[in-house]
Amino acid sequence: MSVTNLLENWSQFRHFHPVDDKPHDPYKWAMSIDLDACTGCNACSVACYAENNIPVVGKERFSHGQQMHWIRIERYWDEDQNAVGGRDFPDQGAQFLPMMCQQCEAAPCETVCPVAATNHTSDGLNSQVYNRCIGSRYCSANCPFKVRYFNWYDYPSDDAWPAEMSQQLNPDVTVRGKGVMEKCTFCIQRVNEAKVKAKSEGRLVRDGEIQTACQQVCPTSAISFGNLVDTESRVHKQWEAQKVELDKDKQEKDEQEGGSKLRGYRILEELRPYPSVMYLERVRESAV
Amino acid sequence: MIESGFDRRDFLKVLGWGGTAVALSGCGNTSVQDGKETVVSYVEASDYMIPGVSVRFNSTCTQCEAGCSINGRVREGRVLKLEGNPDSDINRGKMCGLGQAGVQHHYNPDRLKEPMLLNGDQSQSVSWEAALKLINDKLQGVSGDQIAFLTGTVSGHVKALLGNFMESVGSKHHFAYEALSSAVLRAANKKSYGVEMPRYSLDKAKVVVSFGADFLGAWVSPVHFSQQYSRFRKGVDGQRGVLVQIESKMTLTGANADRWLAIRPGTEGVLALGLINALGAAGLSLPAEVAAEVKAYDKARVSKETGVAVGHIDKLVALLRTRTPSLVLAGNGPDGFAQGSENVAAINLLNQVLGNVGKTVEAPVSAPFAQLQATNGDSASLYKLNEGMARGQYKVLFACGTNPVFSAPASLKVAENIKRVGFKVAFAHYLDETAQQADLVLPLDSSLEDWGTHIVAYQPGEAHIGIQQPLMEKLHANTRGAGDILLALLKSRRAEEYKAFEDYYAYLRAAVLQNKAALGGGALDDEGFWEQTLSKGLIRVAGSSAALSTSTVVAAVPVATAENPDYPLTLIPGITPNLRDGRYANQPWLQESPDPLTTIVWDSWVEIHPKKAAELGIAEGDIVEVISRTGSIKAQAYLFPGIHPEAVSVPLGRGQNWGRYAKGFGVNPFQILDPVFDKQTGELALNDTRVKIKKSGKRVIVIKDEGAAGGKQMGKKIAVRASTDEVDLSKEV
Repeated sequence: MSVTNLLENWSQFRHFHPVDDKPHDPYKWAMSIDLDACTGCNACSVACYAENNIPVVGKERFSHGQQMHWIRIERYWDEDQNAVGGRDFPDQGAQFLPMMCQQCEAAPCETVCPVAATNHTSDGLNSQVYNRCIGSRYCSANCPFKVRYFNWYDYPSDDAWPAEMSQQLNPDVTVRGKGVMEKCTFCIQRVNEAKVKAKSEGRLVRDGEIQTACQQVCPTSAISFGNLVDTESRVHKQWEAQKVELDKDKQEKDEQEGGSKLRGYRILEELRPYPSVMYLERVRESAV
Repeated sequence: MIESGFDRRDFLKVLGWGGTAVALSGCGNTSVQDGKETVVSYVEASDYMIPGVSVRFNSTCTQCEAGCSINGRVREGRVLKLEGNPDSDINRGKMCGLGQAGVQHHYNPDRLKEPMLLNGDQSQSVSWEAALKLINDKLQGVSGDQIAFLTGTVSGHVKALLGNFMESVGSKHHFAYEALSSAVLRAANKKSYGVEMPRYSLDKAKVVVSFGADFLGAWVSPVHFSQQYSRFRKGVDGQRGVLVQIESKMTLTGANADRWLAIRPGTEGVLALGLINALGAAGLSLPAEVAAEVKAYDKARVSKETGVAVGHIDKLVALLRTRTPSLVLAGNGPDGFAQGSENVAAINLLNQVLGNVGKTVEAPVSAPFAQLQATNGDSASLYKLNEGMARGQYKVLFACGTNPVFSAPASLKVAENIKRVGFKVAFAHYLDETAQQADLVLPLDSSLEDWGTHIVAYQPGEAHIGIQQPLMEKLHANTRGAGDILLALLKSRRAEEYKAFEDYYAYLRAAVLQNKAALGGGALDDEGFWEQTLSKGLIRVAGSSAALSTSTVVAAVPVATAENPDYPLTLIPGITPNLRDGRYANQPWLQESPDPLTTIVWDSWVEIHPKKAAELGIAEGDIVEVISRTGSIKAQAYLFPGIHPEAVSVPLGRGQNWGRYAKGFGVNPFQILDPVFDKQTGELALNDTRVKIKKSGKRVIVIKDEGAAGGKQMGKKIAVRASTDEVDLSKEV
């Protein structure tokens, strides 16, 4: 893709859903994550390793930043923590945030892929085609959430699953080789299984029929996943109650800062990637 | 039955239903008693197993003592992933990371595969026949007093068999050891509430005040409490539950508190009595004897001793007065001191005066089968065994599923004393520190290959028996379950009573069917009930409920260990949700799963408050030596704001000398703990070790998941927080 081509046809490449010619129908997968329920326990991350054949890279490679966790828990302290004149202790706890691919509607990673290995599916996912990926890593460089993970090594032949460990690998998920990029798929294998089943029964996927691995395990049920198009789905209702709209980059909450009583927001919305994950703010008691 | 020459009572005892309070059905079934039944493994391929299609089986998780019911996904005869069983009152379909990693225990490449004779560095494989013969030979001519059996917490039919085996050799020396136990809490609860473990209902409380109870991370039944917590946060009518956590080292639960208060180590009981006094002053009616006893704990004194500001005490008192019911919890912070029992008693008293007993502290339900009920491990029992070993009392020692050589303080010299035992048998999954000391090592089945029943000590809902069944065929032909080994040993002693049971499976099935009526299967035939039991993965039983007492006995809290200028800091060993006491350290997902608070992976660290670090000139990554009176360890420093400046913390669970994913990663703080014990229970006072810190001059880069900004959002709205007056939860979905 030449730069000229890119600039001349920008609107075509900067194509985000839903648009009139290609509306999301019947599915648009989305999430909502309640940070007030999330305890930062990391169960989601381990479940993701188990479900998606994610290699354990070991201490040395972790130190090079080569860890592969598709979903990670970010832990933040308050800005004034241990600053001069700031607080000595994190007396309102820490801030935890589960971070995975946000399945952006206008994904910054997609436009830069020289071989179109990452692109948008009709049900609103940001997909990664492993056998098309040439490992340029532009997508990772362009991802504002830093949720794309590159296979620097050939983990299957590099003893990531020694001896009997390989028997645990999920046959529904590809084991990735060296030189390809990978990331959270919203458990596409589970999505597809349910879609095929629904189709064979002549119906649409019902709300709750698909649970992603992270959602399934979450001890506090902080994660909801479902079809945003389905007005009866929990995710749709949550987005609606929080007045967060998929194709806007400024929500009602932003219009009336502090006064809206709403908790829903999307991360780095101002960059206009139009993420498919809505977070609900963590709440802390004011009386104590 | 009668032909076989032992009576009905004995028969019940053989099958584990001895001491049962529920009437058993008559011995009507015949096939099991005849022992002629053909045993068919449940995991043998059946019609419903189609290549490419997963089959799911329910079982019970054994990664910790909570006993969550699990649902394993099996394809082509291999177990792939564990999820929660939605029918369980404990975990309701949810799990934790530790439980998820159970498959890595099963498929672990370092598992033991053959029985082995060890002699120093030499090892030699032997057959099971030879191994069992050797045990029987060694038991010849040894009196019961010279035989000891060490396990962890144990319940169900393995416990029944163990009890019967011990009886058959005439020994009363069964020791249940857990390095991390709630023994102090249970003993104090017994005095405060009349029961060892009441049911805690976070979801009925409007305020939870937790003194170091990490109920979201590693305390009692974390997956269950996490679900309660979720409902507690949503609250009733949009009034969200408030969590106040008081501890010296921030736990995962503390990191989720609305208000986290750092307290001087060991002074939790003082604060509790101070809060009672302040509540009385704020108008809460106190029993006269309580009011008189706590009068000495005025706010100024309490604030001075505990380091908690008077303002925070006032706010907490106001909150507890206006929002009822509340719930006060005592966890692994306050109970880990010489005055641990008194600390917990004082904290429990708060529940009494606040009127929470009967509301959020509820009567427990227990399964009525005495012989199967959990024998809870504690650390005091190990020290009793250790003294016996030091005296040379024991000629034969069995150790099953526990690793005291790793998890006992070095000053107790367990490794040396164990050498004084003539013949040591370890039932083990790995050649861990304790198995290395054994003369004979017997390789165990993984928990995903074995049969079992579990009655967990903490039953949050209806009483139930967790059923453990194999999710796949054995990976290694020559491993056995602990139940099978015990059964084999019993057969060579009491052949008549046990000859009917070809293996532990046959025994377990016979036992369950024997008691079918009491287990709710009266209407079904044997096959039907057994299938239903396996399919559900648990059996609900009519539990018996004990009444709670509302005693308000006050005991003054002794002052914390005196300051020691040579060892100015208190070492608080960190109990992390993933690694706990270290038995799981060889499961790589857990090593690579970042610690939730520090985000460090694959290594140990020393948590130190940034102010203290500045005072001592320590920066992140400095290798520091933590020196106690009984030993020292070296690890990287991590500047951690969630710790009292007078304390440092090193996480437990690393520093093993075995396992490809454990050996060489981190250090073992158990080794340097001072031999200080809770005065009332004799439990090791886990948090009562005084240390000093020395810089070694070396520095490393700390390997962690948090970004270069060190946990700051740099002004971006990433993880956002709102205060309760800025939101309206009542309108949410």
